[in-house]
Amino acid sequence: MHSYRRSTRPSSFKTYVDIVEFEERPVDVPEEVDNGKVEPNLLPGEIKIAEANNVLKFAPLKTNKTGISGTLFVTNFKVSFVTSLPVDSKEAELHERSLQSHYLGVHDVCLSEVDLVYQISEGSSKKKRLLYNAPLPARVSGLQLVLKNLRVINFSFKFTPAGEDVRIGQALLHHAFPPSIDHLFLSCGHPSPFTGIPEFCLAQDWEKELQRTRCPNWRVSKHNEFFNLCSSLPTVVVVPRDLLDAQLEQAAQHFQGTRPPVWCWGALGGAALVRMAQISPNISDKQQENRMMGLVHRCHPKKLQPTIIDLDQKLPSLKDVQISYIKLRELHTPDDPTQFWEQDRHYFSRWESSRWLSYVSKCLEVAQNAASSIAHHNSSVILQESEGRDMSAVISSLVQLLLDPQVRTLRGFHSLIQKEWVALGHSFCLRLGHTRNQPEEQSPVWLLFLDCVHQLSLQHHAALEFTSEYLLALWHASHCSLHSSFMFNSVNAKYSATAVLQRENPQQPVYLRPVWSWWAEDHDWLGGEQNGSSESVKGRRSAARDLFLNVHYIQNLMESLAVSGALGRLRDPVSSAHHTWHRIQYLLGDSGPLPYDPNAPLGPLHIDASLRVDVALSSLKPWHECFSGWISEPSVTINEIDSLSRQSTTTVQHWEHVRQIYYTIKSHLSETLTNGVAE
Amino acid sequence: MTTVNIMDCVFIYRTATYSEKLHLLQGDKKNHVSAQSVSLCGRVMFSGGGIEKRGISKAVNKRSSSRRSSSSSTGSGSTSGSSSGSGSSSGSSSESGRSNNSGSSSGSGSGSGSGSTPLGSPPHVQMASHESLNSESKSSSLNSKLGHESAGSPSAGSPSPPKSVCSSSSTSTDQHHHHQLAHVLNATSKLTVREGTRTLRPDEPTLVPGEHMEGTAREVTYLCPYTGPKKGTLSVTNYRLYFRSPETDPPFELEVPLGVVSRIEKVGGANTSRGENSYGIEIFCKDIRNLRFAHKQENHSRRMVTEKLLQYAFPASHKLPFFAFEYCEQYPENGWTVYEPIAELKRQGLPNESWRITRINEDYELCETYPAVWAVPAAASDTDLRNVAAFRSRGRIPVLSWIHPESQATITRCAQPLVGVSGKRSRDDEAYIQHIMDANAQSHKIFIMDARPSVNAVANKARGGGYESEDAYQNAEVQFLDIHNIHVMRESLRKLQEVCYPHIDNAHWLSNLEATHWLDHIRCVLSGALRIADKVESHKTSVVVHCSDGWDRTAQLTALAMLMLDGYYRTIPGFAVLIEKEWLSFGHKFAQRIGHGDDRHQDEDRSPVFLQFVDCVCQVMKQFPHAFQFTEDLLITVLDHLYSCLFGTFLYNSERERMEKEVKTKTVSLWSLILSNPSDFENPLYNPATRHHVLFPLTSMRHLCLWDKYYCRWNPSMRPQVQDDVFFFFS
Repeated sequence: MHSYRRSTRPSSFKTYVDIVEFEERPVDVPEEVDNGKVEPNLLPGEIKIAEANNVLKFAPLKTNKTGISGTLFVTNFKVSFVTSLPVDSKEAELHERSLQSHYLGVHDVCLSEVDLVYQISEGSSKKKRLLYNAPLPARVSGLQLVLKNLRVINFSFKFTPAGEDVRIGQALLHHAFPPSIDHLFLSCGHPSPFTGIPEFCLAQDWEKELQRTRCPNWRVSKHNEFFNLCSSLPTVVVVPRDLLDAQLEQAAQHFQGTRPPVWCWGALGGAALVRMAQISPNISDKQQENRMMGLVHRCHPKKLQPTIIDLDQKLPSLKDVQISYIKLRELHTPDDPTQFWEQDRHYFSRWESSRWLSYVSKCLEVAQNAASSIAHHNSSVILQESEGRDMSAVISSLVQLLLDPQVRTLRGFHSLIQKEWVALGHSFCLRLGHTRNQPEEQSPVWLLFLDCVHQLSLQHHAALEFTSEYLLALWHASHCSLHSSFMFNSVNAKYSATAVLQRENPQQPVYLRPVWSWWAEDHDWLGGEQNGSSESVKGRRSAARDLFLNVHYIQNLMESLAVSGALGRLRDPVSSAHHTWHRIQYLLGDSGPLPYDPNAPLGPLHIDASLRVDVALSSLKPWHECFSGWISEPSVTINEIDSLSRQSTTTVQHWEHVRQIYYTIKSHLSETLTNGVAE
Repeated sequence: MTTVNIMDCVFIYRTATYSEKLHLLQGDKKNHVSAQSVSLCGRVMFSGGGIEKRGISKAVNKRSSSRRSSSSSTGSGSTSGSSSGSGSSSGSSSESGRSNNSGSSSGSGSGSGSGSTPLGSPPHVQMASHESLNSESKSSSLNSKLGHESAGSPSAGSPSPPKSVCSSSSTSTDQHHHHQLAHVLNATSKLTVREGTRTLRPDEPTLVPGEHMEGTAREVTYLCPYTGPKKGTLSVTNYRLYFRSPETDPPFELEVPLGVVSRIEKVGGANTSRGENSYGIEIFCKDIRNLRFAHKQENHSRRMVTEKLLQYAFPASHKLPFFAFEYCEQYPENGWTVYEPIAELKRQGLPNESWRITRINEDYELCETYPAVWAVPAAASDTDLRNVAAFRSRGRIPVLSWIHPESQATITRCAQPLVGVSGKRSRDDEAYIQHIMDANAQSHKIFIMDARPSVNAVANKARGGGYESEDAYQNAEVQFLDIHNIHVMRESLRKLQEVCYPHIDNAHWLSNLEATHWLDHIRCVLSGALRIADKVESHKTSVVVHCSDGWDRTAQLTALAMLMLDGYYRTIPGFAVLIEKEWLSFGHKFAQRIGHGDDRHQDEDRSPVFLQFVDCVCQVMKQFPHAFQFTEDLLITVLDHLYSCLFGTFLYNSERERMEKEVKTKTVSLWSLILSNPSDFENPLYNPATRHHVLFPLTSMRHLCLWDKYYCRWNPSMRPQVQDDVFFFFS
């Protein structure tokens, strides 16, 4: 009646080299075909710094058991492992769903991704942390890299010619922890394609946002034109209409980081969302603070009292977040299977004691309350935080996600991040530790935010246009130095770094590329056979695209066409059905690489439906894909490939269905069109 | 990966009707395609908020829906909504009405501007297991809407946002459905009248065939742990307890099949109780929840209710028949025929040169807890079988459960060998194991998986049991799978219940959960089954599985390993076969483990072994959402009827007992319900191509999660909010 299983099983394409066996029977080892000198794939401007041959790379948790051999390079951009041997399927899959796959090969690691470097030696469980300034021993038998995305990679130099190991180690330590941001490889020499995402550095960007939200009584001030007012804010900020530039300058001096209160979002009813720093600790006079609050109050058309939320009091400190993250890092970077299973036994209580989920819960709760003030009481909300660059970005972004349906689209989300995080100066460089300076200032606030959005998407499957996989891709992308969006402490810092790079190399134009350019990109920067033909690149990209876009959301859009008469209005350019159809065409990739129309403005704000989140801890789930995504479970089954893939194919069928419906409607449209012409 | 709750958001799109719709659409030249296009577009149904309530109520309400020409089945729903007459549309809207009543609470709450309670719990829905609020009814609510739209009814505004198309919670349609509910309730009670049982008042439940009212008490207060006390009428039938309070709008309803009741206690004496609501009864249920009702002393209603409850909840203790013997619903499919032992063995390719089918146990004499038909190595004679039976606990000899279609590696199951302290041996048993190994030419080794922790296995020697010594059994390797006994599992579930019901301590949720060790035990069972599947599939080696008696842990392991190895068992009929075969026919003592109709709630033989198995299935399902033909709904329905005693399926301890009691002729099978309504349980994400794959689930703690849709289903705050997540307001 039916056959039981596949007739041919995919051959196991992992290559396992057992070191012990290697020593005994060196002939059997699958080694690379010796085809002359191997070279890493270099981007324009990228330089090879060190090289080590016959390096063994081990998959996580497979220490000293299995590995593949190849050549390891350190360049000024990445750690590159070059091998002709096939790739671990899990690594390949995770690589394909990353936003930097067109800069980095499957075995490559961007230098700024490296979090910790350990020296490991075979047969001993001891490992020693290597710091950038500490001298290396004469012989390095192995290196363990712990990446900021919690991936662990082990390299063994057991068969490496002497000297190469140390050179690799030195190059790595020197270049992965640079003294300043401009030492990182920031420009790949290609301009960014047009993405239609405003940078919020120009007056018109803010003016458009004011128009879109129709929030009255606020104006754009260009008083920070030369960063004279505040170096961490963009050159233009939105302030109360009644506030004169001179007053603004005076007020700024009273706040921490000289950051005056700025408008970031608002609603038609007059409720505004304002981010405000605390008064500087050495100023006892609260007059300026009160004046600013009074001005926000006066901006409200109904003169309603603003709600002031002190985030320093209500939310965990940056230190707390970092401590929590380090606990999770320990939990998710086990050295060997024994440690893995030991940790696994207390996995849930260790999650709880990290307090991460309780921080997520607090952020969501505060955001929910703020959203409710705006939505139900039409009250302005002032988010007050020491410098107003960390938690206020989290809360402000969450509030907008909860209230503004436009922000839940991919494009709106990109604009949101550009506005709240990039333009308003979240210190990405400091918080994510891109340089060796001030390690005590590190704190993954950005990840905390992404996790909050992740919980939101778990509770509301169809509310966001993008998926959790995309959030995860953004987290991984924020450590790649070619994504300028997440590299700098402020817009000003970005300008200075660009200036430095330009001065150093006047011939080479400096192009910083925002992470959003991935969507507009239609080709790969890395040549070479490991990336395959352009067809396979296309296939890979469209697979990643399907993974990043939320098929449930698209289906909902389709359903909105399912009301009476909507199909008939599809070609009527003023109808909402037409607009929806236009969006669907972009989302399904029929109108170009971008999933939205980059030339059309972001739709106007209609607060008609607000999301509610269940903030109870029992309703929040540990984000496994993020924290344990790289760990393969050390199980009895070695041949994992035989097992059915768990996740990636689940939405494939759903996509097929949605596309089927799409093509049906489309052919229906073209048919009625021809019929119309015939008549 | 487990956190991607893809299962929650189910995409219903029926390819069967697709071409039909395509035809309609393309054949239409005048753009009047609204109704068709609605059904053309896939519908999102959020199976979240309601699945938990499917269970018991389903069967109950089924009667009315099946009478109405089965219009509520989703498959035909979208078309019949517009084509068939008004009878069918009222049929589907009955359920939609109900679903709206319970699902919309927070929608309407926030609509009235109560923004201060963003998490405000729905005031009246949390226990309403009666309402048949399930995904099916949600989609039929859509169907009923379709019907209205095509009939030109102005009820739903046409430019409605997408949410209102798929969720039934928008305030505008709410009112409308309320009216429908009243209408439909009248209709159902009329139906009942016609059936001649008796006239029903609105505060009495719709009875299933064979059910009759036993008593009613008024002015009873249900003390809801979530939404506070509610006053109403409590009715007891020979099948269920039904409570209805008109205080809320829509009325609050609660129903519990009496089979679910584990213990009934009186609270507060006639003279001692002071204060409001302190005098009454407390009902402890097998499905996690506890219910408390307060009676008015002056009404003297408590005594009657308690007596009736005791009588019908514990029929076995009162020498009364189970309700299953009175239930006389007719289903189009006969579930008793789903499992035919010979047919199932034939499906696996038996008999073949190494395996034969024997009826040696036809009269249940060789082993009374085993089924009548066995598959055994062809090399073993009947005399051998008898000799082996003498050496295995309770005569439960190694018998085939599953054979690999290619490698011929097998899974066989048995009870422990009677080794004892002296280390007895049996040449016949050793030879028999050798025969099992020899039947598989691919491997010169055999694994004996002892499900117990090795300490327990050793301890069993003192009681005459034990395990195979590797010296005596050549080429055999004994492995212990470290799964604890029924008492440990019972205790673990008790702790879990404390953590989940009624309230969750959010601050310590994860550590409390860990302290119950429930997921630890799940992990052990899963990884044991994984190990068996791995040996059979990857190493082509046969595996013998046993624990002490071979009817608890052994059943868990073999059934799960078979589920991983053979995609047939992941289909709806296949899953029924799996349970019939590995659990029912091989004598898992359901009557003892569940305590059907028995009032000894502290019986040491009770244990959630089967629940644990179902939980494991659900864990695998979450990791492979497209590999199962059925959804969680099926699992929850099975568990609900495990206790309900509505069907004969799970009654009694062994095939033999069920034969004696003529269960097959005198009761209805649970599979009749399920196979008659397959569309209610179908997983739209199911990819039939996965049938030929083997599933190797991840079994570390981090990849397991509590099945909150089952364990926490009574808690309104644990409900996925997807369905009513959108609240409307104007700023």
